[in-house]
Amino acid sequence: MIRLSRGQWAGVALLLLLALFALGVPQVVPGDPTRQSLSNALLPPGGPFLFGTDPFGRDMLLRLAAAVRLSLGIALLTTALAGVIGVALGVLAGACGGWVDRALCGVADTLLALPGLLLVLLLVAIAPGRFWPLYLGVSLVLWVEYFRMTRAAALRIAASPAVEASRLLGFGPFYRFRRHYWPELAPITLTVGAFGSATSVMSVAALGFVNVGVRPPTPELGQMMIELMPYYNEAPLILAQPILVVVLLVLALNLIAGGKTQ
Amino acid sequence: MTVLIEADGLAVDGLDSIVRPTALRVRAGVPFTILGETGSGKSLLAQAIAGTLPDGLAARGRVRINGRDVLGLSHADKRRHLWGRAIAILPQEPWLALDPTARAASQVWEGFTRILNLPRRAAGAATEQALRSLGLDDAARKLPGQLSGGMAQRVAFVAARAGGAPIVIADEPTKGLDATRRDDAVDLLKTGMGTTGGLLVISHDIAVPKRLGGEVAIMLKGRIIESGPVDQVLSNPRHDYTRRLLAADPAAWPEQPTAPVGDRLIEVEGLAKSRGGRTLFRDLSFTLHRGEIIGVVGPSGCGKSSLGDLLLGVIAPDGGTIRRNSSWPALRFQKVWQDPPAAFAPQLTLRTALGDLVRRHGLAWDRVPPLMDRLGLSTALLDRPPGGISGGELQRFSLLRTLLLDPVFLFADEPTSRLDLITQQEIVGLMRGVARETGCGLLLVSHDHALINRVADRVIAIGPQSDLVSPQLPSSNIASSAAS
Repeated sequence: MIRLSRGQWAGVALLLLLALFALGVPQVVPGDPTRQSLSNALLPPGGPFLFGTDPFGRDMLLRLAAAVRLSLGIALLTTALAGVIGVALGVLAGACGGWVDRALCGVADTLLALPGLLLVLLLVAIAPGRFWPLYLGVSLVLWVEYFRMTRAAALRIAASPAVEASRLLGFGPFYRFRRHYWPELAPITLTVGAFGSATSVMSVAALGFVNVGVRPPTPELGQMMIELMPYYNEAPLILAQPILVVVLLVLALNLIAGGKTQ
Repeated sequence: MTVLIEADGLAVDGLDSIVRPTALRVRAGVPFTILGETGSGKSLLAQAIAGTLPDGLAARGRVRINGRDVLGLSHADKRRHLWGRAIAILPQEPWLALDPTARAASQVWEGFTRILNLPRRAAGAATEQALRSLGLDDAARKLPGQLSGGMAQRVAFVAARAGGAPIVIADEPTKGLDATRRDDAVDLLKTGMGTTGGLLVISHDIAVPKRLGGEVAIMLKGRIIESGPVDQVLSNPRHDYTRRLLAADPAAWPEQPTAPVGDRLIEVEGLAKSRGGRTLFRDLSFTLHRGEIIGVVGPSGCGKSSLGDLLLGVIAPDGGTIRRNSSWPALRFQKVWQDPPAAFAPQLTLRTALGDLVRRHGLAWDRVPPLMDRLGLSTALLDRPPGGISGGELQRFSLLRTLLLDPVFLFADEPTSRLDLITQQEIVGLMRGVARETGCGLLLVSHDHALINRVADRVIAIGPQSDLVSPQLPSSNIASSAAS
């Protein structure tokens, strides 16, 4: 069983609050986050719009909720994809050893040698404006960490008498994964997964900030920051919102990752 | 005679009372051994005297070291001041206790500079002399990883004594050592004590007080049940537990008749194996029959375990052939490991682990309870994880899970080296019984020659051996394997 520390519970609570915000807002305040209304441009928070409006008069509350949904969705998807690939290959490398291990380590080292964002930019350039290159690119960057952590643990587990006993007693590789490897890998995977999600949120925001990845008018946190940047003087509270949300998201995920997992 | 350590009503309390109020006297020039099994509280008693109890445990009573009441010392710092000056503590398995990144001489040198506050040059000379006195001239410039186990132990001893402490407390100084090195370690402690020093040794091995002499106290479940001069306690034990402990010494086991030989099970011809460029053995030929027990002895790292793994087919030989009787499937060739907790998935309860095994091979769970009965295991243990039961119980479970598969060959790799004597006798007895009754061939690896002499029908000796009385294999095999 995985037991969480106090810090991790704080992270989980913060994450749940953000998810509640992202999913709850559209239920309570119906509306279209992309609908422009230039007469309402840059309204301060409070008044008719709770969180104010952006330069195009779009409702910040709706936009933030949509952006958090998008970020969390991408983080979840990329983390799951990267986790499955990374853990599977890590156990394979650690348990098989030999040329399988060397080949997989070679691939992982090559990927590590490339700057992660460059890889994503490359894929996004192939199919601009689409979501799948973003998912694939971020997953490709993230799986290496799972792979390295899992492989290190799997090497140790594979050499243990318990695994040798399991083999001699006639159990197959899937049984060994379920009973011997996974119970020890689960806490590691959780930690790496939480860190990876944070990285994923940051990457997508960074890509949005340089106007790559998600296309306007779809609300995205990084993109919102760069759109609002010219108005830092007139509407600092509006600009602060997407920044604060990214900070909270990453903080929540890092709290979950950073605690001592048992 | 000077009393160096004097303890009265010394008890250790954690959540409940772990060591009951105990009295002991350690006199100058008379070694004192506390003998007991794992969990008997012997180490805690020594730690209470030294002042190194782990957090959460507290000592009460009275301890005087050199006539000074130390338990009453208000600050831990005052207590700490005694370490290295009044008492030296020799850690378990010294090759793990030495700093792996510092050379031997500098680890000893620290004792002279930091505790005795000698100037650098004088400390250097003292270090050199201390190392030379134990024949460690060559070791001075080496890192602990480059030292042999025996040398590492002597370096740790010199380092512990550098502060000039007259009293030495040694916790399991012979753990993990074979017979020869064990005797060397004991002699080293005895010589180091001299006629004016004090020596308190904690051990589970009867051979230690036998060689050390002096006084011995037998500890069981947190209390000293018997104590006195070694000769008197060991030759004329009063307590039932002491008698059982003495009888459990392999050297005291009754002789067993050799078994009639069954079918051929494994035939080995001209077997050779090397590891890391070193030849472990070559031209090794023998046949293991059903119901037969072959003992394997040899110093650490000589390839005893590799031989068993070769027979199991877990590793491949470098030369020669191994023919396993083809009427039995590979599943019926099984192994029992040295360290029981390492051989089980730590998170599974034993019920789950055994249940998985029963389901995997389409067996009936009905077979488990009678086997548990036979191995003396209570069903309450089934719902605990491997870490929640004793090593002896867990080793019985590892025997049980192999028995579920009706083994024809069992490779037992030092199955009792981590267990105490009485448990060892029970486990080896069970294995022997299984071999004889079910006709299972047993390859028993041990570093304990007395045990192998009593149990094995034949012996394979890897490396030079001298004191074996079991009928050995044709000597040419031993000679050739020993020569390599």
